[in-house]
Amino acid sequence: MADLAGVNGQREHFRVVGKPNLPGILSYSLATGIAKFGIDYVVPNMLEARFLRSPYANARVVSVDTTRARAIPGVVDIVTWEDEDIKKLGQSPFGGKSRPYLDNIADYEGAEVGVIVIAENEDICEEALRQLDVEWEILPHVVDILEGRKPDAPVIRPPEFNEIPPGMFDPRPDPNHPKKGNVSFAITIDGDIEEGFAEADQVIEYELKLPAFASHIPNPPGSVAWWFDDPYYGGGKSLHIEGAVQRRESVGSMYGLPPEKTVQVGLFQGGKYCDWGMRKSQEITPLLAKRAGRPVRCVNSREETFDFLMKERYMYLKVGFKNNGLITAIDDFSISDGGSQGSSSFGTANDQGYGPYYTFRCKNIRQTMEIVDSNRGKMYLSGQHCPFNWDAGTMAIYLIAEKLGKDPIDIAKVNLHGPDSQDDPRPVPSFEACLEEGKKLMDWKWHPAGTKRLPDGRMHGASFRYQICPRHAFSGYDVKLELRNGEVHLPTQGPCTGIYAVEANAMVVAEELGLEYEDIKVDFDYREKFTPVGGGSDGTTASAWATKECANILKQKILEAVIEEANNPPPPSMFSFGMPQEPSPFKGLKPEDLDMADGKVIVKADPSKGVPLKQATRKNIFATYSGRPPAAIWSLGMGKMLDTMNTAYCEVAVDTETGEVEILRFVVVADPGKVMRLTSLESQIDQVMYFSQGCQLMEEYVYDERTGVKLTNNMIDYKKPTMLDVPPVERKFLETRAGNAAYGASGISHSLANTHMVIIAIHNAIGVWVDPPATPDKILKALGKA
Amino acid sequence: MANEERSRTDVALSHEAAQVKSAEAIRAIPSVLTEFRCPTCGKVFGSYANLQYHYADEHPEFVVPETIVLHINGKDCEVLVEPHWTLQRTLQFRLDLTGAKHMCGKGACGSCTVIIDGRAVLSCITLAVECVGKSITTIEGIAANPKWKPLVDAYCKWDAMQCGYCTPGFLVTAKALLDKNPDPSEDEIREALSGNICICGTYPRHTTAILEAAPQIAAGG
Repeated sequence: MADLAGVNGQREHFRVVGKPNLPGILSYSLATGIAKFGIDYVVPNMLEARFLRSPYANARVVSVDTTRARAIPGVVDIVTWEDEDIKKLGQSPFGGKSRPYLDNIADYEGAEVGVIVIAENEDICEEALRQLDVEWEILPHVVDILEGRKPDAPVIRPPEFNEIPPGMFDPRPDPNHPKKGNVSFAITIDGDIEEGFAEADQVIEYELKLPAFASHIPNPPGSVAWWFDDPYYGGGKSLHIEGAVQRRESVGSMYGLPPEKTVQVGLFQGGKYCDWGMRKSQEITPLLAKRAGRPVRCVNSREETFDFLMKERYMYLKVGFKNNGLITAIDDFSISDGGSQGSSSFGTANDQGYGPYYTFRCKNIRQTMEIVDSNRGKMYLSGQHCPFNWDAGTMAIYLIAEKLGKDPIDIAKVNLHGPDSQDDPRPVPSFEACLEEGKKLMDWKWHPAGTKRLPDGRMHGASFRYQICPRHAFSGYDVKLELRNGEVHLPTQGPCTGIYAVEANAMVVAEELGLEYEDIKVDFDYREKFTPVGGGSDGTTASAWATKECANILKQKILEAVIEEANNPPPPSMFSFGMPQEPSPFKGLKPEDLDMADGKVIVKADPSKGVPLKQATRKNIFATYSGRPPAAIWSLGMGKMLDTMNTAYCEVAVDTETGEVEILRFVVVADPGKVMRLTSLESQIDQVMYFSQGCQLMEEYVYDERTGVKLTNNMIDYKKPTMLDVPPVERKFLETRAGNAAYGASGISHSLANTHMVIIAIHNAIGVWVDPPATPDKILKALGKA
Repeated sequence: MANEERSRTDVALSHEAAQVKSAEAIRAIPSVLTEFRCPTCGKVFGSYANLQYHYADEHPEFVVPETIVLHINGKDCEVLVEPHWTLQRTLQFRLDLTGAKHMCGKGACGSCTVIIDGRAVLSCITLAVECVGKSITTIEGIAANPKWKPLVDAYCKWDAMQCGYCTPGFLVTAKALLDKNPDPSEDEIREALSGNICICGTYPRHTTAILEAAPQIAAGG
């Protein structure tokens, strides 16, 4: 078991942790609509603001005449990129080149550019935008990255953008391979690729297209902000902003404010799915409110909220392997959408060296990526839903199995290395266990492609994939717990993103203090530091580790206080009216003689001697802990260790007459290390499988090549699965306790995200490849029937 | 004001507290308007007639907003709206009812669902002026009614929400279904809720919750 460094990491009996069906602390607010998200806030005397958004994929505002717009009744103010206050916004105090917060360059259709209007209401804003006299310089665009990478393609990015130092998630410039035209390069070489291919008995070459898909945050982002006189802190007005959840301090700092002068009460962030980037509508309202002297609201429309969660990538692979299926060399060349300026490269260039390959015993790997600047759109900050090109490895295993006439599961077993190193021949224990359960659940009987017809005439296909549990649970957390008036409080900033992180932490506190989940009072307060969010279940399990440590510090302090009061009882209160005080059953004992169980402080040697926690001490006690779980594999480096694994399976039926694909079921057998909160774990698995279904069968960005305009940025044309579309997801969880977080737990959901498991099952059914989304027309075309 | 600005967030609610808050939200809606704010310039008037005069004088090129009476959650409420305003916008901007959520704006996702005269209706594509004389039930009305406690409880017990943005729309649709069919099958639930999109993918949780709650509601809670 992991979690060796923490208190009670090896706990054997659980009363609270892992329990299902405990309602979320915020669930009643959410279910009844009381919960307010950024877009929901409407405040008295509020103005509305709208950005000018580019109707062109690549363009520059040469000039803008605002005269007609300003003359419209109800227009309060118009900001242009040339105004001094907005020029200063967001500038680094350390200097250096950075893109202005608002400039006159639009590098994708819908980009905020040049102008912001402020008016009495949304309709007047829209009219004012229509009345702007904008002179546009329309520039050549790239929305097809295969065209954009060609030497004769127009160079779309202004030269000054190339001088901006890369951000944390931007592609790193490769000094040995300078940028050419629209193309930057990222190249990683391990081992000797030529030698690897020389060792191979056979070679396969294949290509796959990873689809772009939308982050599709359910609540369109936005904010409302105002300034107020604040008697608590001097130095001018303080800022109140709603909608910039969890980024209160960073938004405040844009306006030169210390943290204490920025207020944000709301904590509902909505679904993030790792799209953590802030939109301009969430940052600009303080500036506009300052100019207008009134509260200002600015929100994105749904159409303006179709940013990427994953960007498009074309992959071309050459894989050498021995006749037993052992891979000896991987040559991976890919062409990746770089998106517009400032797009994150998470999931693409930033992930080179990660991914499936480091689970392989093969050490000869070359990854070459071309990152093509485009005008397709933007991916904010994260975008790692289907991370690390895992599906390229999944396809390699499938294709080798096809070529050798073997079961892909057996090919995976040959290639996986053991827990200690790439030379470790022992299987990863939980991989073997997951496979055993998965095969049982699936009634797994492998068949070659295009060979199994179902009784109803449709073709049957199945697929399998594995992935390690991700270990980015390396973030540190600052936790505070309080015993206040006999009740235990867990103060937290939140936020609520839907991962039930606070609840899992409350369960850990209850477990460690011998209390029930309902006994833990969670105090949401924007001023608190503890934010148990850092990437879905990974953040939850890591923050729960820090919470466990804090709970044990609190417990120790409580027991010390109980003994101190038992041995030196406080004087009777004036309201005891001379009644004799009951002597404490703990008199003469030491803290180590006591424990906490069933809501009481008890004597270890005689648990019948106990006092309810509320009566055990009159003291208010505070405990803090600041730290992170130890030994996270992701902070130790890649390719050297494996511990817990997950497996997923898919079964489809394909109608070769209509091209319709039905996913008969998903099966997931996963090892989360330790189940913390069963109900939300199950739900996370469902989510990730439905995301995978959507991107492989339905979701698609369609561009007009001539204008570069995105045609599907609405919920009618960009299809998401509905309740009638989703198949059953059968799940089974193993608990090896091998993770690095609380009680050996680890993160789970990213690991099961995929772009090709359904696609491979379709190939297994019909014997031909179809790029995602595998819509019926594409299936029929692939079958030569359309 | 400063104390209000720096108040703690009060959203960790029990069902009973949520019920009380929902009832308060309905009670807080004024039955009769006492001030009439010009949507075009923000000036406030004490009567609708004065607002009309103001429009004639100051904004003759604009359409004058209307006062209408909407029957919402059992209560008549006078509202000042512009003719093109949707019911969703009216609920959010005029009545401070935030349960009907704006997600798609095109009638494609169900997050803004309300019940009008017994039918689940998408308030983002329904004009407010069309709703005069009709009975409108929002999530606040359902949450305030103890009859529906088993449904809300089951939603919370089964995590039939992750981020929770679309959840009120699902609950309203579920209530509309149970009004007509107190004992629905799993397939009937899936069919009824197929117009509600949950990006977080909580779909199987809704059927579980509704199947659990339905007999309790039928038995009177």
